[in-house]
Amino acid sequence: MTQLPSKSSTISPSLDRHSPHLTEDEVICLDQVAFGYSRKRLVLQDFGLSIRRGEFLTLLGPSGCGKSTILNLIAGFHKPLSGRVTHSGQVVKGPSARRGVVFQGNALFDWMTVEQNIAFGFRFKSLPKYEQQQQVKTIIELVGLRGSERKYPYQLSGGMRQRVAVARSMVVQPEILLMDEPFAAVDVQTREGLQEELLKLHEQVAGAILFVTHSVEEAVFLSDRIVILDRDLGGIYHEISIQLPEPRYASMNRVSEAFNHYRTELYLKMKAIS
Amino acid sequence: MSQAISKKSRTPVYKQQDLQTQELREKGLLFCIGIVIPLFILIFWEVTTRQGWVDELFLPSLSGIVTEFLAMATKGYAGTPLITHVLGSLRRVFIAFSIGTVVGLSLGLLMGYYKYVRAAFYVVTELLRPIPPLAFITLFILWFGIGEVSKVLIILYAGALIVMLNTIEGVRSCPQNKILAARTLGANDLAIFLYVIFPAALPSIFTGMRVALSVDFGILVASELLAGDIGIGYIIQDASVFFNVEALFVGILMIGFFGVVSDFCLAFISRRIVHWQG
Ligand SMILES: Nc1ncnc2c1ncn2[C@@H]1O[C@H](COP(=O)(O)OP(=O)(O)OP(=O)(O)O)[C@@H](O)[C@H]1O
Ligand SMILES: [Mg+2]
Repeated sequence: MTQLPSKSSTISPSLDRHSPHLTEDEVICLDQVAFGYSRKRLVLQDFGLSIRRGEFLTLLGPSGCGKSTILNLIAGFHKPLSGRVTHSGQVVKGPSARRGVVFQGNALFDWMTVEQNIAFGFRFKSLPKYEQQQQVKTIIELVGLRGSERKYPYQLSGGMRQRVAVARSMVVQPEILLMDEPFAAVDVQTREGLQEELLKLHEQVAGAILFVTHSVEEAVFLSDRIVILDRDLGGIYHEISIQLPEPRYASMNRVSEAFNHYRTELYLKMKAIS
Repeated sequence: MSQAISKKSRTPVYKQQDLQTQELREKGLLFCIGIVIPLFILIFWEVTTRQGWVDELFLPSLSGIVTEFLAMATKGYAGTPLITHVLGSLRRVFIAFSIGTVVGLSLGLLMGYYKYVRAAFYVVTELLRPIPPLAFITLFILWFGIGEVSKVLIILYAGALIVMLNTIEGVRSCPQNKILAARTLGANDLAIFLYVIFPAALPSIFTGMRVALSVDFGILVASELLAGDIGIGYIIQDASVFFNVEALFVGILMIGFFGVVSDFCLAFISRRIVHWQG
């Protein structure tokens, strides 16, 4: 797997979000996007967001504000009513392997082993068999699933299943990985383990991550940048860059001064909109 | 062995043993109940008939049935060896069930996957669905003659319809997020069908096949009652005409026996293939 050398340097002062011009730095750009599930009620209006290469961006916001909708638009599951969603300058027309998705529910293939699930994306890539196996092995090691390669999803705990889901999307190295509350259904200890593994993976794999969560702590621990969405029409209420000591996955970061500072700030902002 | 366990874990040894033995004991008990109760029924049956509490014309004795069965096995029934009757029936079910499954499966997959195909056949299937296949039996005889073809076709039709409906159900019940997950991993339509939709539909397909098989046996007997001179259904029909209650029971019990055995085989295969359901 390729190392992205300049990942942390991408945390730069905020770009002009509504800029329709493609920047070298950005992988996904939503430009004046409007969307609604029915014509009568829009969920997003004139919405702009840009995601930089390799960054870890988290969306926070009240329930129903449109976080999942934004993810679905980027994934290509929905089409905007107006405006555009672009991926490296090209308009997103539908789902693609360049944009990975980790689903909240159980989207594993129950009829495949852990190994087969993780290797699934390689069926559609022309990579030498040996290299595929090597990469699958590496990622299984990284997410701590060694020894469970031959197990089927029903034999796994909820946390392990979510590890497989993350590994499966990550191993094909999408340019961006979309994750909608992926750890919401597991207990606190498992969740913390999963968060740390996700950060380790993010360090190994070059792609950006767009993450949705309701937990302020989770957002601060994981993100390079956090965007808080407004209650109405997905306006951006607040945006903040997070800088915590490296390595980011160190558990100590959860109790550091800086962590507390960010958490308090975000907590107050969240209180203000709800 | 038990010492090793007690050293390793803090839970008392007897608790761990209990769980295993409890499970075994429960299984044993259930097995015994499952065997003992039918045995009692058989004994009760034999006693009542031996004692003459019921008229042998209505309920023959167990030993009478066994004797009749042995006689049929050696001398045949109505001039035909018993094995010919049995194989004749099994062949009809086997051919009809196999072809019916292939037909039902293909139609079901197409209808489940392509909404246009589904729309095209929607009215027809909804109309056919509530009609008992037996309602068509005389029509089939009229169309295809009184021989083998109409028997096999009516069984085939009944089974195919069931397999088809269950296959459609299975295809349609495939969770959307599994399909989307495959798509975001680069799968095209064919790959999604082969690796996601079809496996997801398999449990439902096998359920349909098992229901179809048991229905097929029912239709088999009915079709053989109506016409023909070979088959278990024919034995049942002929025996009742001549008030040969023993032979009648031999026929009924043989249908039950082959129905159970074939379902058991299918269930075994199903568990082997659909092994991921735990
Ligand atoms: N399939 C759908 N059909 C119709 N309306 C929908 C659909 N999905 C979402 N909505 C509506 O769109 C709005 C945004 O929903 P969305 O799921 O994006 O919110 P969210 O921010 O992800 O919320 P949560 O935090 O609860 O997951 C909500 O008002 C919701 O009722
Ligand atoms: Mg949501």
